[in-house]
Amino acid sequence: MNTTAQTLTSANRVAGTSARTVLFLLRARAFLVLALLLILFSILAPEFLTANNLSILSKHVAITALLAVGMTFVVLTGGIDLSVGSIAGLSGMVAGYLLTQGLSFGGTVHYPPVALVVLLTLCVCLFVGALNGWLVAKASVAPFIATLGTLYIARGAALLISNGRTFPDLGGRVARGNTGFLAVGQGFLLHVPAPAWIMLAFFVIAWVVAAKTPFGRHVYAIGGSERAARLAGIRVPRVKLITYLFSSFCAAFVGLIIAAQLEAAHPATGESFELNAIAAVVLGGTSLMGGRGSVTGSLIGAFVIGVLADGMVMLGVSEFWQMVIKGVVIVLAVAVDQLQTRLQARLLPYLAKANPEVAN
Amino acid sequence: MSNAVPSAPDVILEARNITKRYPGNVALDDVTFRVYRNQVNVLIGENGAGKSTLMRILSGVEIADEGELIMDGQPIALRSPRDASAHAISIVHQELLALTNLNISENIFAGRELRRSALFVDQPRQALRSASALRRLNKPMDVATSTGQLSLGCRQVVEIGRALDQGSRVLILDEPTSALSAIEAESLFAVIEDLKRSGVAIVYISHRLHELLHLGDRFTVLRSGRVVGECSRAEASRQWIVERMSGRKESNDTSVRTVAASLPPVLSVNALSLAGSVGDEAAQAPLHDISFSLREGEILGVYGLLGAGRTELVEALAGSRQLASGQIALRGRTVQIDSVTKAVNAGIVLVPEDRQRDGMFPELSIRENIMIAATRGLLLSRASETARVQQLIADLRIDARDMELPVATLSGGNQQKVLLARCLARSPIVLLLDEPTRGVDAGAKIEIYGILRALAAKGLSILFTSSEIEEANALADRVLVLCQGKISAQFEHDDISDEGLFAAASPVVAASIEASTPLTRPSEGTA
Repeated sequence: MNTTAQTLTSANRVAGTSARTVLFLLRARAFLVLALLLILFSILAPEFLTANNLSILSKHVAITALLAVGMTFVVLTGGIDLSVGSIAGLSGMVAGYLLTQGLSFGGTVHYPPVALVVLLTLCVCLFVGALNGWLVAKASVAPFIATLGTLYIARGAALLISNGRTFPDLGGRVARGNTGFLAVGQGFLLHVPAPAWIMLAFFVIAWVVAAKTPFGRHVYAIGGSERAARLAGIRVPRVKLITYLFSSFCAAFVGLIIAAQLEAAHPATGESFELNAIAAVVLGGTSLMGGRGSVTGSLIGAFVIGVLADGMVMLGVSEFWQMVIKGVVIVLAVAVDQLQTRLQARLLPYLAKANPEVAN
Repeated sequence: MSNAVPSAPDVILEARNITKRYPGNVALDDVTFRVYRNQVNVLIGENGAGKSTLMRILSGVEIADEGELIMDGQPIALRSPRDASAHAISIVHQELLALTNLNISENIFAGRELRRSALFVDQPRQALRSASALRRLNKPMDVATSTGQLSLGCRQVVEIGRALDQGSRVLILDEPTSALSAIEAESLFAVIEDLKRSGVAIVYISHRLHELLHLGDRFTVLRSGRVVGECSRAEASRQWIVERMSGRKESNDTSVRTVAASLPPVLSVNALSLAGSVGDEAAQAPLHDISFSLREGEILGVYGLLGAGRTELVEALAGSRQLASGQIALRGRTVQIDSVTKAVNAGIVLVPEDRQRDGMFPELSIRENIMIAATRGLLLSRASETARVQQLIADLRIDARDMELPVATLSGGNQQKVLLARCLARSPIVLLLDEPTRGVDAGAKIEIYGILRALAAKGLSILFTSSEIEEANALADRVLVLCQGKISAQFEHDDISDEGLFAAASPVVAASIEASTPLTRPSEGTA
């Protein structure tokens, strides 16, 4: 009897340890895939791991990562934000208009300084975010529909601003006192491009908010059970509104970065970016049902998408195959996510067994 | 009526002349409810009587159309659950609204997180206070455990822990024991006595009359949105309550038929075992070597405490759990039941324990809920469906004015009957019921018992589980007692006694002596 018990416990311990290993590998899968891709591409394409290429890569990743970080909160509450690509487009156009056309009061044209341009642009984009939030939280429109609507509204507004044309030459003029905008996309600090810094700053803030603040806790709670969250005294509409505001804020920055990189604002900028952002969020392990996931995951997801795209370009993979491969990766990621949920449920007993204290 | 009159000094909270209308009906009609300090204020009423509406108003979830709330003599306004918390009123909801993706301490502090440097969640302090609240409830658990892994009973404890930690002055418990085993309920009663002494006013809602009579100091009875009776402990009796609740005299119908022992068994279970997982209370309890048989037209009760394996047993029979070993035979022929579809095709159907989660499609109509899986063939035939549903509604006396209304518009008792109708629509041979009257009021309970007996009389074999001794006693022809996954005793109807059942169900024999007198009141000197 005694020996059987001992064998059982040791078997349990082994089962517990391997269960934990399997779960750990599954949880860290986005990171593992990223590491694998980096190794693969640096072997296949010697110029992949050069400082120059990494700098370019970081600019690409920053775009998706910024959108994904903002999207993460929305998705964690069980929502979705389809309008981020259009908001990015709108953001570039508003900034382009203010920089090249200025504002006219009483016959004279005033050119606002860059700081004011950025501020006004952010305000316009936050208004769209507020509209999203209001539609979802107060008017109870399904997030998919509400943000699909604002996707069209924001894109239409972006096209209306210039009548569909591009605003070139966003460098500004010294005479107008509005130079310096290009630094948002082209500047460097410590050899790292400005977009990468912006991405890092947003990530750190978002991570702290999600993991350490009551607001972050409330976001997870709403995704877990909206009704329970409401009855627990969480101000559900307010929390949701803020998540959509933050998402549009991130999208606005993306628009500014792209406009500054290209030195021009094109109204079609950001088309289908929302899909990349959603893909990054999902790759990072955030559940589209809400309540489960992390900002870090989304960042890694964005890196996976960025590295995959860049690496395939360097290897000369055809554009069409690139799309197929990206699709396969996304679908696999979600399939593995489901597997994780099921495995986790199945492995839990082993984890509990490995725990010394047994609640009674 | 008495608008300007202040409340009596021992009234902490008074809901005065409250009226609440919903489209189509008046949920509360000029109701005045007083909550007394240091007392357990019992609110009784059948489902649909307006108890939940009144509690939602007291906890800020809903706002009354008319009337006022007065706390400590001052009128207060409760527009949201936050307002209620600010006035130290908290509620433990019946449906156990745990945030299953968060852990215990995060649940206890959801929406009122402790902060460090005004910005960050103070997790260590939250963990500490959560642990101490759980200790006060005699239920120490690791506060980092995700609540998704907890059993219903443990989730309940977490919610009460939340209310405890808030330092509530008024604590509303809506059917707190419906998910608890007898032992857990006992420790809850001790906590309630404790809280009462420390100055908390308790509002207690339950369908279990013996509990109410045991705990209550003040009784208020609601019927159809009106207060129909109010009294103190001295005047309250079982009969007083039941008469006012239902508006009719209590029929003590416990006439149980005896089933001829010579009839062949319809269902026989031989050496059924189920792999279990120890150490995690939410995980299934294992079953060891369960053998029994069920005769034609027999009602067999399975009594056991929480975690004894009641639900696991019926779920194994219904095909939703994999057997580790053992055989199931229907009418003498061995059947392989490894999926719900096979069980249903063989003629075994289950009415699940958790109606909301496992049973209802709240948005679908009553008709669709009943016929959801019973239709055969390629196309639905509305006419034959309607006829069948009408028949079932009449047979089971479902109180539905219109079968096309969403099922969520029905009261709990009627929803339970809808589930029963769904199972009957599949023409079963064996009907399994897991806690057939959970969350059902006393009147509907008696009705459901009557329906089940009538079905058994027509030859249907019924197996039900229960955690209530009263129910096992009232309904079963024969009772099996489960204890830690084994059948520990079997009682024919005439031999059933509360003490016997309880002793057989209690895991440790020595402890059962102490625990077998669950309804003795704690020392009353302090009341």
